[in-house]
Parts: sequence; C-alpha cells; structure tokens
Amino acid sequence: MTDTLFDPKWEWAFENASQALLETIQIAILASILGCFIALPLSFYASKATNQTTTTYIIYKSFLNFIRTIPDLFWAMLFTVAVGLGPFAGVLALVMFSMAIMGKLLSETIDSIDLGPLEAAKASGAKHNQAVFTSALPQILPNFTAYFLYIFELCIRASVILGLVGAGGVGRIIETQRIFLRFDRISPIIVLILLAVIAIEQFSVWLRRKIL
Amino acid sequence: MNIPNQPLNQRILKYLITFLIVVGSIWSASGLEITPDRIFSAPGKIWILISAMFPLDLSQEAIDRIVPKVAESLFIAWAGTVIGAIFSFPVSFLAANNVSLNSLSRITKQVLNIIRAFPELILAFVLLPITGLGPLTGTLAVGIHSIGTLGKLSSEVIEGIDEGPLESIKSSGGSKLNELFFGVVPQVMPTITSYWLYRFEINLRASAVLGVVGAGGVGAELINQLRFRDFPRAGTVLVVTIAMVLIVDTISASIRRRIIKGREIKV
Repeated sequence: MTDTLFDPKWEWAFENASQALLETIQIAILASILGCFIALPLSFYASKATNQTTTTYIIYKSFLNFIRTIPDLFWAMLFTVAVGLGPFAGVLALVMFSMAIMGKLLSETIDSIDLGPLEAAKASGAKHNQAVFTSALPQILPNFTAYFLYIFELCIRASVILGLVGAGGVGRIIETQRIFLRFDRISPIIVLILLAVIAIEQFSVWLRRKIL
Repeated sequence: MNIPNQPLNQRILKYLITFLIVVGSIWSASGLEITPDRIFSAPGKIWILISAMFPLDLSQEAIDRIVPKVAESLFIAWAGTVIGAIFSFPVSFLAANNVSLNSLSRITKQVLNIIRAFPELILAFVLLPITGLGPLTGTLAVGIHSIGTLGKLSSEVIEGIDEGPLESIKSSGGSKLNELFFGVVPQVMPTITSYWLYRFEINLRASAVLGVVGAGGVGAELINQLRFRDFPRAGTVLVVTIAMVLIVDTISASIRRRIIKGREIKV
C-alpha cells in the first residue's frame, strides 16, 4: 500500500484537485474575514479595560472561552449536520474557529492598552462608546492586522482538512480517494496543498512586513 | 481647528486594504454559493440540532464507551507533546542563528517550516498505511507536527536571549558547550516550558479530531453518532470533551502563569 504513495499521478491531481483547492482558499478567506470582524466588537466587551460591567464582561469572556474549547473539525461536523454538506458548513465552522482565536488574542491585547487616551477622551465629554472608538480602537488596530493575517494562515491550514467530514474543499477529494485506497492520487494532492500553503504563508509574511 | 490629513500613501494603502477585503469576501462567497437566505436560515437549523441533543444520553453504557475514548485523546495529546518537546529542544538550538552556524540554522528553519506545513490530520493520513489504524498513528502525527511548531517557537526564544551571560562565561574560560548549558538553557527554560504546556493544550484539540480518519481518540465516536443520527449521545460526547478541555486548559494555564511570573510573594 505504501508503494503507491510514492508513485504520484500528477495529471489526475491537476485536473481534479485545482477547483477544490480554490474552494479551500475561498473558504479560508471568507471565514477569516467574517470571524475576525465579528470578534472585533466582542473583544472590547471581553476586556476589563473597556468594559466596566462585571457581569457582561464575564458573559462575553466565558462565551469566547467556550467556543475555543470545541475543535475546528467538531464544529465542521456539527454544521454539516445542521446546514447540510458543502462549503457553507465549512465556512461557518471556520468562522467559529477564527472568532474564538481572535477574541482571545485581541481581548488580551485590549487588557494591556494605555488607558490615558481613553481617560482624556472621557474628560473632554465623550461617551464610553465614543471614547473606546476614538482612543482604544486605534491602539489595537496594528495588532488586529497582525492577528488577522496569522488567523488567515491558520484558516488555510484548517480548511484543507474540512472536506474529510464533508464540509467542502480539497479534503473531500482526499477522503473519497482514501476510501478506494488510491494513495497514488492522494500523494500529489498533498504535495499541491503543501505548495499552496507555503506560498500563501510567504505572501502573508511579506504583507505583514509591508503593513506593520 | 484643523486636523492634518493622513499622508497620501497611507490613505491609498488603507483604501487598498478595504478594497481587498471586500472583493475577497464577495469573490469567495459567490464561489461557494453562499446566499443570504442560507445565512439567515442557518441559526434556526443550528438551534434544531442543539435541541435534539438534550436531554443528554447519560446511560451507563454510553458513559462506559465515551469516557475511555476521551481519555485516549488526552493520552495521545500528552505523548505527542512529549515527543515534540524531546525532539524540538535540540533542534531549536540548531535553528537559532545566534548559537548555531548560519547556514545550518537556515537549513534547519526550512525543514521546520516544511514539517509545520502539514496539518496533523494530513500527517495522520500519510502515516495510516504505515502504522495502521489506532492511537499510535495519532500520537506520531501530533508529535511530528509539534516538533515543527515547538522548534520554531523555541528557536525564536533562543534568538532573543541576553548575550551578557554568554560573554561572561566565555571570559572566565568556559567552552562553547558550557555557554549553552549555563548561559542559554537557564534563560530560555521557563519560556520554552510554558510553550510546551501551551502546545499540549493545542494538541488536546488536535487529538480530539484525529479519530475522524481512524487515528484514535474521541473524534470517531462523535462522527459515528452524528452519522447514525443519535444526537443525545453525540451531545454527551461533546459535553464530556468540552469538560475535559476546559479542565486541562485551566490547570495548564495556571501552571504556565506560575512558571512565567514565579511564586506570588506576600508582603
């Protein structure tokens, strides 16, 4: 069985996997954008620095912690049952995944911001929300961008395997070929995935250096 | 009062990024056939699934099946982390450019990058024909992936050390090996240990899903119950997994805090 792993069928892989690989990338793009932008307001509520109400702070914080305990593929399985097989379930799963990570990273960043500007805005008559918007948000935007790119990379990796449970992307092809034990078809796909992941990672590293 | 405008290139960059994000999400959403009505009907469908899970299946038979599987995930994560820690520790010294040779460090870093590019599940996939179905495959997959990530993190810690102690060891006649043992290791050990624990937390989640491809752990249990539409039992699997992850996270986080910040001193 291992012999076929090292006898890759390249033409087959290019013909059948490129469309699915594109789908994988689309899932990762959409999910990381949605997840991160949903997490942006949530993390202000989940930080002691910008949310003085203890009860809502605890609720938001434990909500984010709860989401984080469920692994990405478990989300994918649940969503495939709930909304049906296909990439939509994958997107929802990765939205949860990226939201949880961004929520944790960003709320901890907000915990450690400089409270001076916030106080100054309030002293000049700003309401709490206005003060947060004008003086806390600009402080964390660079971190947000860096985390976003990091989460995008994580999502690319995670979206590769979503297809194993039927949630769209290139994993679906791996799963079907695995059932027929066609390891000669799986190995070139894995190499393609590897190349795509490394290329996107290099792009993201380049972009991060450019922006920050 | 006049507020000065942002410099032109920064403004262009800002609009460019907004444009990229908007176009990227529209392109992706259209490619994936995601329509508004699917989005709006999703919460209702999810609620149906959640309400089907309660009341949970807490019969003795279900507990006897599920708890050992969850424990198996825990064992896979721990063994995998130990493999990752043992192998990544020496490798991280080779990869750090301030204690290793320049060319060697570059090669090692590329190797670690390649290892990291494989998700655990794909690794498990490649290993399945070699080591067969079962937790051994899962442990190896988790361990190999951990070598990649821990090696990268640890080497970055080593690159960030204070060079002073190394110099003083050298000036008092210590060899290169002495420098590593008495200069580098004591400085990096607390951070690296806390990374090991952190990796253990991540591996716990990874090992939970490995069962999907038959590499041991609780994942197989969940996917089977969902396939057979036995939602109460699937709910039990989820709740037990979440409870275990929460407990391990809490313990591990408190140990990490103790390692990094030291014992609290009461004055």
